[in-house]
Amino acid sequence: MSQIMNMKQMEQKLQRADRKQSRLYLFCNFMALMIISAYSALMLSPTVQKVFPEGGDSAKQMYMIFVMTLVGCVVFTIYALGLFFRHKSGQLGVLMALGASRKRLAPGLFREVIFLSGVSAIAGTAAGFPFVWIIWHAFRLFLVDSSDMVLTFDFRCLFISLLFLLSVVGFACLTAWRYLKKTNIMEVIREEHINEPVKEPGRWCGPVGFLVLLTGAVLGYGAPWACHAWFSMYPPAWVSVFYAPVFVGLYMIMLHTVVHGWKSHRKNPYKNIISRSMMKFQGKQTVNNLLVVTLLIAGGCFAIFYLPTNGISAVLRYASLPYDYFYKYQADQNVPDRTKVEALGKEYDLSLKDWNECDYVTLGMGGMTNIEEEDSLRFHVEYVPMLQEAMVLSEDAYRMITGQEVDVAPGTYRCLNDQEETSLYVNNSAKELTNMTTRKVLATEFAGYLHYDHLAEEIPCCVLDNADYALISEGLTDDWRGRFAAFNVDGKDSYPFAVAFYHLFVSSFDPSCERICSYDRVQKIRENEEGQEYWGDTDEMTKISYELSDSFAFRTFWVYMPSFRILNQNDYLRNMAVMFMMFLFIFIVCMITALVVCHTRCQSIALNNRYIFDDLKKLGASPAFLDKEVRSQCTNVFKMPALVGTTAMFLLYAMILYANDGRLLQTEWAAMGLCLCIIAVIGGVIYTVYRSTVKAIKGQLRIG
Amino acid sequence: MLYVKNLCKSYEVGKNKYEVLKGIDFHVAQGEFVAVMGPSGSGKTTLLNCISCYIPFDKGNITLGDMKLAGMNEEELASVRNTKIGFVFQDFMLLDGLTIRENILVPRIVQGAVEKEVEKMADQLASMFGIGHIVDKYPAEISGGEKQRAAVARSLINCPLIILADEPTGNLDSKSSRAVIETFINAKQKMNATIFMVTHDSFAASFCDRVILLKDGTIYRQLEKQEERGVFQDQLLDAIKQMSA
Repeated sequence: MSQIMNMKQMEQKLQRADRKQSRLYLFCNFMALMIISAYSALMLSPTVQKVFPEGGDSAKQMYMIFVMTLVGCVVFTIYALGLFFRHKSGQLGVLMALGASRKRLAPGLFREVIFLSGVSAIAGTAAGFPFVWIIWHAFRLFLVDSSDMVLTFDFRCLFISLLFLLSVVGFACLTAWRYLKKTNIMEVIREEHINEPVKEPGRWCGPVGFLVLLTGAVLGYGAPWACHAWFSMYPPAWVSVFYAPVFVGLYMIMLHTVVHGWKSHRKNPYKNIISRSMMKFQGKQTVNNLLVVTLLIAGGCFAIFYLPTNGISAVLRYASLPYDYFYKYQADQNVPDRTKVEALGKEYDLSLKDWNECDYVTLGMGGMTNIEEEDSLRFHVEYVPMLQEAMVLSEDAYRMITGQEVDVAPGTYRCLNDQEETSLYVNNSAKELTNMTTRKVLATEFAGYLHYDHLAEEIPCCVLDNADYALISEGLTDDWRGRFAAFNVDGKDSYPFAVAFYHLFVSSFDPSCERICSYDRVQKIRENEEGQEYWGDTDEMTKISYELSDSFAFRTFWVYMPSFRILNQNDYLRNMAVMFMMFLFIFIVCMITALVVCHTRCQSIALNNRYIFDDLKKLGASPAFLDKEVRSQCTNVFKMPALVGTTAMFLLYAMILYANDGRLLQTEWAAMGLCLCIIAVIGGVIYTVYRSTVKAIKGQLRIG
Repeated sequence: MLYVKNLCKSYEVGKNKYEVLKGIDFHVAQGEFVAVMGPSGSGKTTLLNCISCYIPFDKGNITLGDMKLAGMNEEELASVRNTKIGFVFQDFMLLDGLTIRENILVPRIVQGAVEKEVEKMADQLASMFGIGHIVDKYPAEISGGEKQRAAVARSLINCPLIILADEPTGNLDSKSSRAVIETFINAKQKMNATIFMVTHDSFAASFCDRVILLKDGTIYRQLEKQEERGVFQDQLLDAIKQMSA
């Protein structure tokens, strides 16, 4: 005899029977929430926040990809909900047809969607934290570890997940309510079988899409520059709108992919007609899905390309530096002298050679700068005396430390730049130099660049005629004087020596030098004299401490950070660990999401069209033919987003690298080569998932 | 029993408006077995869906027993669908997760708790229609004809005023079709059920007391069975031929 005695029991039994569909919905929601929760947990963790400079490009990149991922997850959950209700609609329609009123159906339906959405969302949110923890500790265990990488969470990040969780549950309830409100019961019953074809555009759609995408990329990238150069304006946030054509272009490309495909069908117009029409008749969802996957793959590439573009240039730069050890210090500091350093070297069986030392002075340097208008948006360019600090060497000192011959005309200065003249820290507009102790002023003018990588640092460095140098440096106190020292190691260098020397070096400085390179003493004096508070004395300034001399912040920002080749080479990954691992994490998250969306999309196309596959079997289609149709479906879903996402990001990176200085340097070519290798690996991963998806679908459709 | 007066229904597709029913008038008496036939697009299914309150209609009146369907709210319409109408779909529309007995009981479950007597009634209906041996099976485990007979049993569980059937033999082979039609005749004879059936099949229609021929949203002709079934089927075929010409 039947066990069902009331509505609630019947609904429970139907839900049990539909558990496959529910599982898919649970899985999609769980994944979306886990990814959002994990991403926001890591993004807002103190571990990451203290390393990513606020307002810096890398932080912007991190937030930008987060928005892309968020959009992807929103579309993904809406899609999963749509799938769930499409399946549910048949059941709801039958119950409505048999006289179940809205009031009768509502409690069960709301109970089910709230339970499924709530449980999956809460579980996903909670799983985000162990997910981050496991990946982060796997990075620490297998890739790189440093004191900066100790993972701590700021649980305010839960606010984002909570907001997303509530949206998911709210949207699920709204969709349930929309279904219950439908008056056309036949529409509800047939919903599962209703197609959603897209309007068929001409074959121009795809090629024009590429043009629109390219236009958007150029406009979006160029808009901030145009604001700056043409309108003397700091680019406001809304200039990002110029990137909008990128999304339009992407949509057009995906639409073309779904409607026409990219192969010519003139010779054989019936080739792939079945798979193309299957995609076309679920066009809206398919196009949306392909768009999301493209964005996610592009976001993943945007993140992962950060590693080679930053890593390669640093590694090659360290290798090409003229000295193994190069450092500077303030004259009033008790830094180990040559004898002590050589003695330390002996402890490590090292013999030092090419020892060179020279004096320099720190002067106030005038220059052109942007002066903000009252609205903080616009600016004008103005000459400011005593604009910033500059390290100044005499001709003799420069010759001594670099070995380069130099002749600087009296009344002029030559500015240090790197070999490729890409340094951002040059000042070629000074009209005078100021002795900060006596306030004596020396009139001067720019007379060209000198090239020496060790001296092209964050603080401008320039060379004066010997007589000019002697004149302007007269009377300077020791806190404005300094010394450069450099040497090489005879034979193979020793990392332990470098570490020991580095710690000895740091410990020899007093607290007056515990400041970052952006802390400009000249600017501070000028602003204080004008009655303003210098921003470097506020909490906005990054703080460093001698006690954390191995931290990312100290090694990146300390004003007297020495350049020890072996130390930099060995510790580069460790110093940049948090940044690199964050981007690696973003890449992993984006790729997982993209692959899950592709996999579920392929499955739903196949499941929605299972009747077509059954009919084709009845019409005598061979397993090989059906296999080809399944592959064709999956290929479209996987291939185009992968191609467009990776290629678009590769080109964008190439454009950014080129636009930096109007050329591609050797290091940039090398970085692009590495990006291509990464694309090949991504291709391999996508192909593997594609194959397993095809296998799963063939199993479900009982093909072969 | 069922009175349909000046029934109009149109669909809008984009900017185009298609009038499907253009002022239909007819009635069905208690215990009568009536079929509606007509070419595709003539409005048969739309007519049935309007009577069963599945889709709203534009104009006119449908009176079922003493109830006028126009102007009823959603709750009232649901109650009519549950207690006054039994519906048989072309593709059965049984719930895959429930057994055949449970499927037959669904209209009662929707009303509230199911008593033991109702379960007995479901079993009796199943036995009456020759599916008593499969009541504990699931839809996926039985044939199309058996599914449709289960659907007919489901439509009768609440002793409705009328059974509405939309091409009930459309998806069945001739043997199963015959079994389903006999189920209807059985229901009519033993339970005095009123049946209103849309069909393309002149063989199925020839078992009815009356056949309404629809063409382009209007009633083209009505034929009453006065002679034996075979002759009536010939008359129907002639009338359809004339209508097509």
